[in-house]
Order: sequence, then C-alpha cells, then structure tokens
Amino acid sequence: MADVARIPGLWEQIRLVAGLRRRILINNLRRKNNQWDLVGMVLLGIFGAFLVIGVAIAVSFGAYSFISSGRENWIALLFWGIFLFWQLFPVFTAGFGAGFEFRTLLRFPFNLRAFYIIGLAYGIADFAALAGISWLLALTIGATVANHGLFPTLLIICGLFLFMNLTLERLVGSWLERILARRRTREIFFALFILLIVSVQLINPVLQRYGHAAQPWVRQVLPYLSVFPPSLAGRAVAGASRIHSFDALLGEAGVLLYLLVFSAFLWMRFAAEYRGEELSETAAPARAVVRPVSRVAERSDALRLLGPQVAAVLRKEFRYLTRNSFAFFLLIMPLVMVLVFGTQFGGTHHTAIKHPPPIDLFFPGMMGYLILILMSPAYNCFAFDGKGIQTYFISPVSFRQIFLGKNLVQAVICLFELALSMAAFIYVVGRPSLPVLIATFAAIIFAIAGQLTIANWSSLNFPRKLNFGQMRGQRQSGMAALVSIGSQVLMAGISTPILFLSRWTGNPWLPVEVFAFLAAAAVVGYTSSLDPLAALAEKKKETLIEALSK
Amino acid sequence: MTDSAIVTEKLTRRFGNLIAVDGVDLTVAAGQFFGFLGPNGAGKSTTIKMLTGLLAPTSGRATLLGLDFASNPIEVKRQIGVVPEGMGLFERLTGAEYLEFVGRMYGLDRPTTQRRSEELLDFMQLADRPKTLIADYSHGMQKKIALAAAVIHGPRILFLDEPFEGVDALAAGALKALLGRMTERGVTIFLTSHVLEIVERLCSHVAIIAKGRLVAQGSLEELRAGIAGEEGSKTTLEQIFLSIVGQDGSQRPNLEELSWLM
Repeated sequence: MADVARIPGLWEQIRLVAGLRRRILINNLRRKNNQWDLVGMVLLGIFGAFLVIGVAIAVSFGAYSFISSGRENWIALLFWGIFLFWQLFPVFTAGFGAGFEFRTLLRFPFNLRAFYIIGLAYGIADFAALAGISWLLALTIGATVANHGLFPTLLIICGLFLFMNLTLERLVGSWLERILARRRTREIFFALFILLIVSVQLINPVLQRYGHAAQPWVRQVLPYLSVFPPSLAGRAVAGASRIHSFDALLGEAGVLLYLLVFSAFLWMRFAAEYRGEELSETAAPARAVVRPVSRVAERSDALRLLGPQVAAVLRKEFRYLTRNSFAFFLLIMPLVMVLVFGTQFGGTHHTAIKHPPPIDLFFPGMMGYLILILMSPAYNCFAFDGKGIQTYFISPVSFRQIFLGKNLVQAVICLFELALSMAAFIYVVGRPSLPVLIATFAAIIFAIAGQLTIANWSSLNFPRKLNFGQMRGQRQSGMAALVSIGSQVLMAGISTPILFLSRWTGNPWLPVEVFAFLAAAAVVGYTSSLDPLAALAEKKKETLIEALSK
Repeated sequence: MTDSAIVTEKLTRRFGNLIAVDGVDLTVAAGQFFGFLGPNGAGKSTTIKMLTGLLAPTSGRATLLGLDFASNPIEVKRQIGVVPEGMGLFERLTGAEYLEFVGRMYGLDRPTTQRRSEELLDFMQLADRPKTLIADYSHGMQKKIALAAAVIHGPRILFLDEPFEGVDALAAGALKALLGRMTERGVTIFLTSHVLEIVERLCSHVAIIAKGRLVAQGSLEELRAGIAGEEGSKTTLEQIFLSIVGQDGSQRPNLEELSWLM
C-alpha cells in the first residue's frame, strides 16, 4: 500500500508556491541560449529598478510637498497614479501570452480558503504590485515627515489601499485569464492593444488642436471621480491632516467597502476556478451543419496564370494575414505614420517645427520610412508557418515557387499600403513634383525587389518561429533584424544621393532614369536569385524545420 | 516498373557524435503493409524523415519506386504521401483550406482538389466544422486531417508516423479499412506505431530498429519462426519485439526500485 501524503500547512503551501515562481524565473533565464537575452533582461531589471526608485522619490517628495504646503486634496493624485499603474500594467502584460498558469495548482490538495489566500499572495510577486507597495511606502514616509500625526491614518489607509489594489488586480487578472483563454479573444485583445499604442502617437496632435476646447468637459467629469478608491484614500489623508475626522473616516470606510466588494467578487471567481471551471480552447461538440455547396469548381481560377503551387501559397499567405491580428493591424501603421508625421512636420497645420522640410524631400523620405516598416516581416517570412514548413518540404515543389507566392503577397501588400499612404500624404501635406513622384515609384520598386532578394536569404538562414496573437517570448530573430536594418541602410545609402542628383545637376528627371535602371536591375537580380535560394533551402531544411517546428 | 517500392542501402544519419540511423538496408515490396518498429529514440522517425525528404542522409541512399531520392526528389515526392512526426500542419487554415492547399501543391486542378477534399472531410467526419481552424481541432482531428492531406493526391507509397495516436475507435476502424483497401490496390504503406497490436493486425511485414541499427526484418511468420524455444504460430508481435529488442535486459525497468508504490 502506498503512503498517503500529509497535507502541508497554509504557510508551507505559500512558501512552496513562492519557491515555484522563483524556480520558474531562474529556469527561464537558464533556457536563454543567447547571452544578449540575459543582457536585455538585466538592462530591463535595472530600468525597472530606476523606474520604481525614481517614482518613489517623486511620490515621497510630492506627498511631503502637498501636506506641508496645505494642498492636502492633491494627495489623491498620487493615489490615482499608483492605482492606475497597479491595475493597467498587469492588463497589458497579460495580453502578451500565457505565463505560469496559477490554475494548474488546483491539482494539489488545497482547500478553497488556502487557494484564495495563495492566489492573493501570488499577486504580490508581480512587478506592478512591488512597485505599488514601494510607492505607497514612499507616500507614507513623505506625508509622515510633513506631519507626524498623520502616521496612524496613513498606515490604515495605505494598508487598505494596498489590499484593495491587490484584490482588484487579482480579480481583473482572473477575468482576463478567463477571456484570454480563447485564442480569438486573445487576438482581439492584442489588436486593441496595438490600436491603443498607435493612438498614443496621436495624443500630441489632438491636444495641440483640441486641448483648449476639452478643458471644460474635463472639469465636469472630475467631481465624479471622488467616489473612486484613490480619491477616497486622498480624502482620508486630507481629512486627517485638517483634523476633519468625518472625512478621514468616510475615506477609510469607502476604501474598506471597495475592498470587501472586490474580495467577495474575487472569492466567487476563485470558487468557480476551484470547482473546475472549463476554459479549454477546444471547440464544443457542434451539431452537424449542412455545408453550402461550393461554387469554386464552377468558377475559373483567378490566379491560374501563376500556376497551382504559387497560387496555393499566395492564397494561404492571404488567409494567414487575415487571421493574424498582429500583422493585420500593423497594416494601419503606415497610414497613422503619415498622419502623425504629416501633421507634425508638413502641410498648412504643422505643429512641431517652424520650417517644415520641402515636400520633394519629405515625400520620398516618408515612403522610405514606410518601406522600412512594411518590409521587416519579409526577413523572417516563415515565422508564422510553424510546423507547416514540413508541408513545403514533403510537397513536390521547389522553393522557387514558395518564395514567389510569399513575395508576391508581400509586394502586393507593400504597394497597396504605399499607394494608400501616398494618397494620405498628398491630402495632408501636399503633392510632390511629377519627377519626384515618378522617381519615388521607381525607387519603391528598386527597394522592394532588392530587399526581397536579401530577405529571402535571411529567412532561410535566420528562421525564428513566431506565434499568432502573442508578444511575450515573440522576439524576432536578432540576426534577421540586423540584416533587415543593414539592407535598409544600404538601400537608403544608394537612394539618397540619387535623389539629390537633380539638385546637383539641375536635371529633375535624372533620378527617374537612374531609379528606373536600378529597379530593372533589382527585378532581374531577384528573378535570378530564386533558383540558388531554392537550392539553399534544401541545404537549410533541417535548420528550418527545427527552428519552426518547436 | 519495379517490384520493390522502397530500397535503402547503408542509409546512415549522424547528429554530431550520435549515429541516429546506422547503415540501414531495408527492402519493402510494392503493395506491402509494412510496420517499422523500435523503442523510443531507436531511429524510426529519423529513417522516415530521410525517406520523405525531410532530412538528408549523411551517407547511403534511398530508392523509392525505382527512383533515387537524392537525384529525383520532386518526382519521388509527387508519388508519396506523408503524415510526418508532429503532422506538419498549417494550423491557421481550416481543414478544407488545408486540403485545398495541399492538393494544389501536388498539382491537382481546383475542381479535383475541391471534390476530393469534400469526400475526405466527409470520410474523416470533419465536414461538420467547415469554419473551424486546425489550431482549434482536437489532437485526433488534427491527425485525421493530416491523414487526409497525405492521401489527397493518390500516392503510391504512404508513410505514416503513429497514424492512429489520438484517433477515436470509430475513425480508426474506418481508416484501417481504407488503408487495407489501398494496399489491395497496390499502394505501399510504411507505418510506425508503438501499439504493437495494430501493427500485428495490419502489417504483413515488419522491420525492427534498435539503437539505429536494423535488428530484424521479414514477414510476421518469418519473425515468429526465428524465435527459438517458442511455439512459433502462437507468438505475439509484442513477444517477438521484446525478445529481439529487450534481449540484453537493458530496456526493462527495475520494478524493485518502486517498492514503496506497491
């Protein structure tokens, strides 16, 4: 008969879970085979420490200043800052992929109370929580130095505020875990995140234009914020500072009420998880549906000129693009960039500089920058194929056809995006001269064809798997990125002096002729590179399969 | 036309100092249902990868349907179907889209690909989820779509690496019947599986590989007859396998060490 395990005590369980998190962190570091990864993590750690310490000093100084100068109400601002960081930072990092799943601990013999407490304690190890606790400590120190009598109130309110934040963060995290368990919602979340990051670029132009008009509206909203925990915490401290016991008690009671409500919700969430809530991604059994009769067979193939293999790869690439929220939403970046740079540095409403660059330089420069963004995925073009790379190698096709299919999609997207961006540029900034417009077209063809040749080579030599809808652990191949930057610099180095030829020689059409020649040469070079690259793919197949099938 | 579907001569593959496959000489006749067995890490998948173009041999050669693989890779690939280890699927396509993709990669026209795809999806009982991505399929469903893709072009040799792993009994039964019919019509099937009962029931010929070397090859009857001291006709494939692979006792775990569990 096997021995029956003794269930460890609560503190022992917490210690074991803390040890598990530490071990996972260490093992993750050990797995990094690239020393640059470790250097990056160390730099990130140093940056994080500076952020926490720097903000802590600012918070401490702010608290001291507000209390000592009689502006006690302003201390709510500090609570708001801590609150927003504590709650928003984990939300954004959660979207970058699954880390350690707390739910996996359910296989062990915990009771619900232990599961709840461990779940709560688990949240203390998050960066946002550590930073938030440090800043609350700094706030307490700063305010206490300014007014010693505030210490008991600060101790109570900061303690309540800490547990309220911890509970709310775990509650939001638990809901997010439930939402992000499904691939589709994870991708939508990620897309929203990208949109948010993109929209940050627009803050400055929007504030420049509408800042004054928005001020009355903001003032109207402010009173409604007083019922939220950071304002209540600020009210408690301000009340104690002015010896208004009612305000102090009201603030403390308000934060306590929030803590109790969030705790009740968190208990319900953890109880559902404890009972074995199903978060599986596997589709539920579906009722058999009558499949619509496809009419593809009746249609002629719109891509028949390409040959079946190239057409198949092309269709597959388009389908992958539409299902890859990250790549798909990045397609709006060029337009956003044109709007941001266009309104900042050009047009009649430019906001950043007094003397904007001439359109004939700004236009090709802008297009060159957009090519840099649009072409970068081509340098690791098998990244999202994953295990599917094996299908290429077991099929009776040459990699010439596979590259053709992939490159066609890349080129079409690039040209479509550039055409849209050109239209936006002309609308926002203005139209360049005809010779510059045509020279830019030719330069685009030169840059795309030239870069595709190098990008294909890079994709074979430095493959790295990327997953859909994830960002954490989704680092591009370092060497592919270097090759990408190197070839972009090369293209820019060739193109810039050619553009200036018209100024030096006084012949506005000379760059058109040179770029047309270079574009033709790049297309010929690209075509003749396909067979040698197909032979290289055969040589590199083991590396490719190993790197992409992990 | 040749009688041998697969012939390997001194097929060898090294990974650094490790010899994963060591001079394997294998002959599989056309139309045979051939089982390729071995313990974990013996070299089964490496051999299949070399026979299907996923891995280049370090030395030796492989001839399929009379064609040297190294010098005629495209022509050989046109005539074989493969369910590789890990299945090699494009998981962000639906089942129908993946079959269409594979059919077109093998040069089938669109109407033919479409028709065969629908028939295969029906046969594999995958037709009721036309919009589900392969990423959202269960493991067994992924195995079925990989099998469907391997046969869509009507291959003359079919390589199957653990084809029934995770497939439900109903589908597995239909698949076995299908594979049996294919061999009757002259298709050669080269199968690896750890489930020896399946191999015993389906395969007419078997080869066993251990530590990269081929240690036995022949029909089941020949292997049974080769075991001394046993009643030949009653010996199961598992007993044959254990007697050949586990001869030195190194493969058998020591149960005495787990006495606390019993």
